[in-house]
Amino acid sequence: MNGVPLAAFIGLSLFMFSTGVVGVILRRNPIVIFMCIELMLNAVNLAFIAFARYRFSGIGNESQGAAGQMMVVFIMAVAAAEVAVGLGIIMAIYRLKENIDVDELNLLKG
Amino acid sequence: MEGNSLIWLTLGLPILGFLFQGLCGRFLDKTVAGKKLVGLLAVAPVAIAFLIGVMVTKSLNPSKAVVVSSIPWIELKGLSVPFELRIDTLSMTMVLIITGIGALIHLYATGYMSEEKDFARFFAYLNLFIAAMLILVLGNNLLMLFIGWEGVGLCSYLLIGFWYEDIANAKAANKAFIVNRIGDWGLTLGLLLIATLVATSPAMQGETRLFSYDVIFQHLPKILALNPAMGTVAALLLFVGACGKSAQFPLYLWLPDAMAGPTPVSALIHAATMVTSGVVLMNRMSMLFETSPVASAVVCAVGAFTALFAAIIAIGQTDIKKVLAYSTVSQLGFMFVACGAGAYWVGMFHVTTHAFFKALLFLGSGAVIHAMSHEQDMRNYGKLAKYLPITFGTMMVGYLAISGVPGLSGFYSKEEVIGSALAGDLALTGALEVGKWSGWICLIVAALTAMYMTRMMWLTFFGNTEQWRKLEPHHGEDDGHHHLNADHKPHEVPVSMWVPLVVLAFLSAVGGFYLAQGDRFEHWIMASQIGAKVPPPTHPEGIPLMALSIGAAALGILAGLAVYFKGLPAKEGWDESLWAKFRLRARDQFGYDRLMVNSVTTDSAAFSAAANSGFDHGVIEGIGEGAGNLTKSLGGIFNSVQTGLVRMYASVMLIGVVALVLYVIVSFGGVK
Repeated sequence: MNGVPLAAFIGLSLFMFSTGVVGVILRRNPIVIFMCIELMLNAVNLAFIAFARYRFSGIGNESQGAAGQMMVVFIMAVAAAEVAVGLGIIMAIYRLKENIDVDELNLLKG
Repeated sequence: MEGNSLIWLTLGLPILGFLFQGLCGRFLDKTVAGKKLVGLLAVAPVAIAFLIGVMVTKSLNPSKAVVVSSIPWIELKGLSVPFELRIDTLSMTMVLIITGIGALIHLYATGYMSEEKDFARFFAYLNLFIAAMLILVLGNNLLMLFIGWEGVGLCSYLLIGFWYEDIANAKAANKAFIVNRIGDWGLTLGLLLIATLVATSPAMQGETRLFSYDVIFQHLPKILALNPAMGTVAALLLFVGACGKSAQFPLYLWLPDAMAGPTPVSALIHAATMVTSGVVLMNRMSMLFETSPVASAVVCAVGAFTALFAAIIAIGQTDIKKVLAYSTVSQLGFMFVACGAGAYWVGMFHVTTHAFFKALLFLGSGAVIHAMSHEQDMRNYGKLAKYLPITFGTMMVGYLAISGVPGLSGFYSKEEVIGSALAGDLALTGALEVGKWSGWICLIVAALTAMYMTRMMWLTFFGNTEQWRKLEPHHGEDDGHHHLNADHKPHEVPVSMWVPLVVLAFLSAVGGFYLAQGDRFEHWIMASQIGAKVPPPTHPEGIPLMALSIGAAALGILAGLAVYFKGLPAKEGWDESLWAKFRLRARDQFGYDRLMVNSVTTDSAAFSAAANSGFDHGVIEGIGEGAGNLTKSLGGIFNSVQTGLVRMYASVMLIGVVALVLYVIVSFGGVK
């Protein structure tokens, strides 16, 4: 653990998050969009873990750091459920339209 | 049950009769002896109710009103309204009239309506009508009065419109109902005002039965003494109600049209029960009217004017029932003159005798109509006396009674009315002696009454020719009712119809004499008016009242004979003499009816059309649609943003999140 500063973790997290955002905005394939969302979620997870580790260790209140780690478990569980539902919707859309290009799918237009 | 609780039977029997007729009558009617049985079961409740009424009346101590209470009805904090009946001389007089004459009319109706397909429905309505009227007169609180009041209104609507397939009848029923709503408006406000006055008075602390007569009457004089103006307003509002039900001038116009109903209905509603409820109300509330000379003067003036106006119109009528209808309106005017003059018991006296002879005349006219194949135009009658001896004999008694021939009932009550008005001192506004003026007008009306009744009797039963013999073979349009032709042979009515006629003729002949002996009726009715002033004398000094009223009757009869002795003018009223012009105008009610009806129908339709196009379309819809359009156009602004493109939404979200984060960083100075 020693030697690698907190800023490195945050920098990596920032890079992963930005990559995810750019992917979500630019890619047209919903599968890839999903993967980019996963990337964003994981960036957040990394930030949580890093903060939990660095800010609450060695000062006598590690139990508070557990909150950040709990968040990570939650996010992973919700992300798994969300992806299951999302993929199901994508499958249904594909069966209906034989196309999953998100720019063609504007049924929810106002 | 013992003693006064028996009164519940009087009320309950017609209700039971109504339920039976309404629920089972239709099916019973179809069986072999059905009509007879249905008829019997319709007459019996009313007749038994009458007998019970007689028993209760006999055991009544006139000087003491009895309140028979039963289940609570409305229970609120500080207010309780039980179902309770008041037995006193006023209510029992009305009970006897309603059930006694009602039973006779029911009996008559079993004969008159025997050809009808809706036999049971008719009797259901009649029984319900009797029950509603009994609640009106027997109830011991303002709310029960109101129920009865509205109940008879409903039943009169149902009965007048009994032949609902005929549009004219349905319209007449609507008219009666709608005109009565105006009266009910006044009654409702009046009752509410009285209730408010009583309930807010400190004298009523701790009392919960705020609407009951025995409570109200105890405190009303004191309360009104503190606030006489409110007393006048309440009295006038109640009088508006009385005008509606009792067909006084501005609101009389439903009654002549109501003749569209079957004749027994005309007799029941328009002679014995509903139209007299206004007089009953004034008697019941006499305490209120006595405190207000202004209200009394108004009552007197309206009554006198109505009496004169309706008597003049009656002269122009050719329909036999319409003559009687306007005669009723006119006689009701007499009753109100008496009440306005402060002689409330005289009003009730005339109600009673009028119930006898007017029911008789209506039923007699029904017998004539029955004999003449539903032809009601007197111009097609003539010389009927020899065909209809019983009808003729009984109607003659009724005619002489209403004309005021001495010895018969109408003479006594009419003389008392005129006398009390001439001698009365209650109806005064400043120097104007409304009472005296009304008395003189009544004297003129008495002569007019004798005249138009002579005209009716002469055209129907005498004259030189049997007018229907001159009818064209196919007279008028064939509407299923008029089968009168030149070969028609009038026939006397069946026994169920002439028995009531004979009984009523007997009552018309001797009823007035009996009740007038020793001021019997006066002492009887006055006993129920607790706290009422001594009534004004009914025999004014210095005026030879008896000679005047006999003279008026004689003058009227002679005038009638003089005009009609030669029989009917070839086509009455269609020649151009001055008299005929007047008669045509009178027949038309001097345009009053048309004016009122047009103002309600055509003119208000025009008004509402204008309101519809101008106000409703312009303003109301403008507001409504404006609100809708505003929302729509506001929505339209954001509509274009909703492209349905996922990636665009994501970009927007990103921008939003970045903006939010920047905001947090700037305003909180970054993460510490």
